[in-house]
Amino acid sequence: MNNGLAIVIKQTYRTHFKSRGYWLLVLSPIIFAVVIGGIIFGMAKMQGNTTPTVAVLGDPQVRKVFKVDEKSLDIKVSKITDGKAANKALTAKDIDGILIIESDNATLTTQPKSNSINKEAIISVLGNLSRSQKASEYGLTTEQTQALIKPFNLKSVVQQTNNKSTDGDNSDMANYGIAVAIGIVTTMIVMWYTSMIATEIANEKSSRIMETLLAATSASIQYFGKMLGIFALAVTHLIIYIIAGTIGYLFLQNNTLLSGIKQTFSNVAIGFAIYAVLFILVAVALYLVLTAMIASLINDNAQVQQAVQPITFLAMIGYMFSFVMTNMPNNIAIKILSYVPFISQSMMPVRLVTKVETWPAAIVALLISLVSVIALAWFGKRIYAKNVLSYSDDKIMSQLIKNIKNRH
Amino acid sequence: MIQLTNLNKQFGNKIAVNDMNMTLEPGKVMGLIGQNGAGKTTTFRMILNFITPTSGTITWNGHPITQADKQKIGFLPEERGLYQKLTIEEQILYFSELHGMTRSDAKIALADWLKRLDVVGKATDKVQSLSKGNAQKVQMIASLIFNPEFIILDEPFSGLDPVNTSIMMAEIVRMRDNGAMIIFSSHDMNNVTKISDNLTMLKQGKIVLQGGVQDIREQFGRTKVYVEGPFSIDELANITGVTHIKPQGAGFDITISNETVGHQIFDYVTRHGYIPAFSQQPPTLDDIFRQEVAYHE
Repeated sequence: MNNGLAIVIKQTYRTHFKSRGYWLLVLSPIIFAVVIGGIIFGMAKMQGNTTPTVAVLGDPQVRKVFKVDEKSLDIKVSKITDGKAANKALTAKDIDGILIIESDNATLTTQPKSNSINKEAIISVLGNLSRSQKASEYGLTTEQTQALIKPFNLKSVVQQTNNKSTDGDNSDMANYGIAVAIGIVTTMIVMWYTSMIATEIANEKSSRIMETLLAATSASIQYFGKMLGIFALAVTHLIIYIIAGTIGYLFLQNNTLLSGIKQTFSNVAIGFAIYAVLFILVAVALYLVLTAMIASLINDNAQVQQAVQPITFLAMIGYMFSFVMTNMPNNIAIKILSYVPFISQSMMPVRLVTKVETWPAAIVALLISLVSVIALAWFGKRIYAKNVLSYSDDKIMSQLIKNIKNRH
Repeated sequence: MIQLTNLNKQFGNKIAVNDMNMTLEPGKVMGLIGQNGAGKTTTFRMILNFITPTSGTITWNGHPITQADKQKIGFLPEERGLYQKLTIEEQILYFSELHGMTRSDAKIALADWLKRLDVVGKATDKVQSLSKGNAQKVQMIASLIFNPEFIILDEPFSGLDPVNTSIMMAEIVRMRDNGAMIIFSSHDMNNVTKISDNLTMLKQGKIVLQGGVQDIREQFGRTKVYVEGPFSIDELANITGVTHIKPQGAGFDITISNETVGHQIFDYVTRHGYIPAFSQQPPTLDDIFRQEVAYHE
């Protein structure tokens, strides 16, 4: 690697890595997640055991069934079998409800501060009991009775192009989660790091440090060095999150909430995860190149927002489309947009994981973005070199248009 | 040796530099003088390859200036700038590294420079905490710490107080004595006279005068006389060949039409014997500058 380039990359990386601002950026989402997690955990702890205790009165056989099904009904069957004692316990809030079972109906009595009782589950158990009792009265065989009380099963399946099927419920949840996650992660990283590189270049230009730097190196070394330094910071940022995520997972792997998430994402392949991360990185590089090019037109720090805002809007477009797309995946405009650089990173990974697109299409979209990074970087190098030492009163976008029109 | 040959730069219809030729030699200081917009900074920018000449060549020992050569150039821009949030050490080490110095060598050299230039504060102080004078010294260190072979100083004395000006001048002389080629621009003719071996005077991008400082002054003849003694302004003004006279301190500044008039003045003022002061000098650079550039606008 060119020595000058390595020095600029190292300096850009080192300066930001040692800054308080970078660590605030990296740690604030982790701190936020830990605080929110802590609050949820604390609330659950404070709430204590929320399984309702119910006194089941009436037919002892039915009570026995309820006792056996305690877990699936999410209740605790009280030892109380006497009506008077049950009423006393309910008034004293020792139990949450009284279920009185009669021949054809049942009554559930609760008090206002009772823990919530799943009535649908109780109705389902009572319905099954009633149907088996009636079946036996009609003289049906055990098999007939079983067939009668067996619930109708609706299974959700997603048909894939390779004729294999996956569990629809889990995939839907996971895909939605991924669509949201990719959109948020890309948009946030793009917003953070485009702002960082724009401020860096604006600072060097407005404070006239640029002249001292360019006396020793070339504009292209400064341009690529800064971009690669900031890109390395973004990669470090992602690595820190991956490490934090792994540590968090190791600590909380037996947590019930996490096991639910784990199950939901069990259908997401490692290959796809790598693809999504690669796409995010290529997208970040693409946005950094665009920002570095536009930032070279800035005169002072006050113009940073003016330069970064359109870039942020562009990133938001992809994010918005990722939501629209889940409702109309086969729309032709959506299909085309999922190949367009600057937008594709929020769309193609989601289309791939929802099986709307195949791997070859997904790789083509990634390659288009990659080629765009290289082409834009080379084009941007000229604009950067031409403008980084000139100061114009024109608006940034009109300067950019002038530069594109008049490339020499 | 740096050679500028038939150098031209045009911005649209405006000619910024017009057919400039210049040679810079090791161990010599070239002063570049001219009014604002005369083409001094444009010349520096072309040497540093910030802008491309419209025509002409710039060579270092016969070849165009390469990226490797640029590492050996120390440049002090007219508009100074430092990273306000970095420490003195952090930014000097960065600039030194860009000029091919190792961080450990730069650290050792920095301690020496801070001491020699009497910078108040520690290497670990942030630039934003420094006074203007100390920040200027740090900027000077950033441009010179790596012992450049070629030094370009754009208005190095502007904004400096007299103490910092003499420190800067001492460093320029030290670098020159170490064999560096130095070119600097300045409006202050006094400083140019003190440290320049050669000078180039620009007017609207074109060279109007070039050569050794003393040679240029001598070209104009010894037409400036200063006398002190018991005589009136009218007596002196009546001597043939005196074109201008004005009181100056305890004596008079007299401009004469040619050197021989000096003899007549000397004979006249010494006709009764001793006088405290008589001096016949060529015009100062300031006078020449006014005559050649400003008056002919």
